[in-house]
Amino acid sequence: MADMDAEVIKVERPGNGDKARTRGPFPGHSPHPEKSGLFLYLNANKYGVTIDITKPDGMLLLERLVDQADVLIHNVWPPEMDRVGLSYERMRVINPRLVMTSITPYGMSGPNRKWRAEELTVWSAGGVCVLNGAGPDYPEMPPLKTFGSQAGFQGGVHGAVATMGAVIAQLRDGEGQHVDVSVQESIVSQLELTFEYWPYMGLVATRLGRKPIQPIESMQCKDGWIYLCCVEEHQWRAFVEVMGNPEWASEEIFADRIKRADNWEALKLFLEDYCSQHTVLELYKKVQEKRVPFAPVSTMGDLLNSEHLKARGFFVEIPHPVAGTQTYPGAPLKYQATPWEIRMPAPTLGQHNDQIFGERLGLDAARITELKRTGVI
Amino acid sequence: MAKAPLDGVRIADFTWVWAGPYCTLQLAHLGADVIRIETTNRPCITRVLPPWPEGKPGGLNRSGYFNQYNQGKRSITLNFRNTAAHEIARRLVGHSDVVINNFAHGVMERMGFGYDALKRIKRDVIVMSLSGYGDTGPYRDYVAYGPAQVPLSGLSALTGYKGWPPMHSGFSYADPNAGVHGAFAVLAALYHRAKTGEGQYIDMSQWECAMALLPEGILEYTFNAHEPERIGNSDAQMAPHGVYRCVDRPERIAGNKIDQFVAIACADDIDWGRLALSMGRPELAADVKFVTFAARKRNEDELDAIIAQWTSNRRAQEVAEMLQHAGVAAAVVADNKYLSEEDAHLKARDYFVYRNHPEVGTRQHAGVPWKMSRTETAVRSAAPTIGQHNDDVLIGLLGYSEEDVAKLRAAGALD
Repeated sequence: MADMDAEVIKVERPGNGDKARTRGPFPGHSPHPEKSGLFLYLNANKYGVTIDITKPDGMLLLERLVDQADVLIHNVWPPEMDRVGLSYERMRVINPRLVMTSITPYGMSGPNRKWRAEELTVWSAGGVCVLNGAGPDYPEMPPLKTFGSQAGFQGGVHGAVATMGAVIAQLRDGEGQHVDVSVQESIVSQLELTFEYWPYMGLVATRLGRKPIQPIESMQCKDGWIYLCCVEEHQWRAFVEVMGNPEWASEEIFADRIKRADNWEALKLFLEDYCSQHTVLELYKKVQEKRVPFAPVSTMGDLLNSEHLKARGFFVEIPHPVAGTQTYPGAPLKYQATPWEIRMPAPTLGQHNDQIFGERLGLDAARITELKRTGVI
Repeated sequence: MAKAPLDGVRIADFTWVWAGPYCTLQLAHLGADVIRIETTNRPCITRVLPPWPEGKPGGLNRSGYFNQYNQGKRSITLNFRNTAAHEIARRLVGHSDVVINNFAHGVMERMGFGYDALKRIKRDVIVMSLSGYGDTGPYRDYVAYGPAQVPLSGLSALTGYKGWPPMHSGFSYADPNAGVHGAFAVLAALYHRAKTGEGQYIDMSQWECAMALLPEGILEYTFNAHEPERIGNSDAQMAPHGVYRCVDRPERIAGNKIDQFVAIACADDIDWGRLALSMGRPELAADVKFVTFAARKRNEDELDAIIAQWTSNRRAQEVAEMLQHAGVAAAVVADNKYLSEEDAHLKARDYFVYRNHPEVGTRQHAGVPWKMSRTETAVRSAAPTIGQHNDDVLIGLLGYSEEDVAKLRAAGALD
C-alpha cells in the first residue's frame, strides 16, 4: 500500500521498535536496529513514529492518529490486544469510517485464538510443512520448513487484499468495518490440489508421496542446479532432441511420463550424466527455445546477475541514512498509469515523531517533550 | 449485512491452471462476478487432474483441484477458432470492469485482445497480464510451469536440510502467491479508477512476485556478497526450533502408516524453561549446555534429540496442546486429514465451505481466509461445470436471443 502511494504511518514501540529490526540480515553480520534487511525492505515509503500503547496517553495518541486515518492495520497478538484494550469497538467510536484489519496467526475467534505462534508453527498449522521434504526414499527426514517468513508474507498479502476490498466498500458506503485475517487460513487456502485429496478420495498427502510423472526434479549441472520439468510428452520429446536423441531415450521403459516415473532410478542416472556436462544457462536457454519450462535453481547471485531481471529493472537501490545505499528487490508489478516508485527509505526509529505528532496532530513542542520524557513516545 | 465490496464489479477471466484462478478466486470472495472464459477443446488442466471423487476419474467437472479454486465463479465456453466467439468475447469485455489473463506474453495480442484493442471496447477497462516472466525483458516468451517457478525464484536454493541439495517448497507456491499479489494489484487499480475514472494496464511477473518473498536471502547477498546456507528447520535466533517426530496416526490410510510431527519454537530462555518443565525435565533449563540461547545453539543436535525422544511416544496433538497450555509456541504439523477433520479451531471458525455441486455433490472445500464485520464476503456457489453459464451470460447479460444462442451453439462457437 505504501508503494502504491498510500500515506502509511508505521507505529512502533519506543525503545526496541519492530521485532523485524532484530531479524537481519545485517551488513557485515553486525546487528544494528537501523540496518536489518527485513525491516528496511518491508518499511520503505513509510513514515515512522513510536507510541507505547500500553500507556493510557499512548492509546490516546493512537486514537488521534486513527481519527485521521482511513485504515488501521495491525498484527498485535489477540491476548496482547485484550491486555492493552486495542479493539475495533473502541476504534469505531473514534472513527466510524475506519477499516480496521487484524492479521493474527489463528484469527480473532475460535479455541486457538490465544495460541502462541512463530513462523514455523503457523506454516505447519497451515498444512504446507507436511508436504515438503526429501521424498519417499528418505522417510527418516522430517517435514521441512520453507525458507524465510512465508506464513508472515501470506498473512500480509491476503490481509492487503481483504483490506483493499473493505476500502472499496468504504468508498461506496462511507462506512468502515473490522476485517479479521487468519494467517493459518491464508495458508490452507493455497494447498494446491493436496487438501482435496482427503474430502474427495480419503487420501493423506505428505512429503512421502511419489511423483506420478517424471522428470520433474532438480539436477546438478557443471556450474549449479537446474530444474527439469517435462509435464507434457511434447516437452520430453523436445528435451530428448536437445540431448541429441541418445539411444537410451528410446528404451521402452522411458516411453511415457508414467513409465519414466516408474523407472526413475534408471532414468536419473542418464540425466545426471547428461546434465553434469552442461552449464545451467546453456541448457535452460536451449530447452526454452523449444518451449520446455525448465528453470535454473537460482542462487541469490543468479538473481542479481540475471539479464532478464536487469532488463526489467527489478532491483532498486535505496539510500538510507544509517544503512547506506543498498540494493533491494523492487516492484513485482508494473502499473502503466500509476507507476511504482521508492519515495523514501524505511524510517529510523521514531524518525517522524515531531512531524506527525506536531504538524499533523497539532501537539506543541512542550507536549512532545513531555511525551518523550514519560516514555509514551 | 451490506453488499459485498465488489458487488457489481465484473471480471472477464481468461486465466487458467492455478495462478490466475487463485487471483480471481480472491475477487469472487469479495463479491465480484467472475466469468471464466473456457473452451471444451482445451479445457483447463486442473479440470483433468486428480483428486477425483472416490478416486474415479472422468469428465471435466469432477476434479477437486478445479472445484477448489473456481468456487463462486461462472463459466462460459468460447471456441476462438470461430469468429462469432470473438464477437461474444468483445461484448463481454464491454460489460466488464477488469480483464485478466495468465497466458505467456503475446497470446492475448495474437487473439486480438491486447490492451489497446480492449480499451477501444471499454475506455476505462483494467487489464492485467499475470505471466511467468512479465511482458518485457529477454525471457518474456519463456514458458513457466508451476513447479519450476519455485526454484527459479531462489526459494529452492535457500530451502533444505543442512548439507543437503536445494529442496522445493512442497507445492507450486509461486502460483498462488502471484495470484494473491495480482488480486491486490487489481483492487488498487479499481480504487484508482473509482477516484479518477482512469483504467490501466498491469504487467505482473510471477517470478518477481515470488522474489518479494525472500528479502532475507537476497539481502544477505547484496549486503554481504554471501549465499545463505540451507539450515533445515532451525532458526538463527531461536532454539529449540524444529519439527519433532511423534507417534504415527493410529489408523492406516489406504494401507499406509502415516507419520506425524509437532512443530516447536522457543523464542527465548523463558519459553525454553516452560518446555523443559512440560517435558518433566526442569533441570535441563539450568544445564550449562542449554541455559542460554548461545549454549542451546552450540548443542542444538543434542537438544533436538532430547526433545524428539520425549515427543516420540506422544500424539502430536497432545504435545501441541500441552505446550500451548504452558505458553510455548507449538502446533501439529497438519496434514489434509488433520485440517479437514481434526482441527477444532478451523471448524469453530466455519472456515470450510460445503456447496452443492451437480456432479460431485456436497464436498468440503477451503473457504475465505478472512471475515468482514459489515459487508458480505463468502463463497457464493460451488465451482461451475464447464460452460454452465453460457445461456445465463449470453442471454441474460450480453443480449443474445435464445435463437441466437442455438445458432452459435450449432456453429460450434460455444465449444
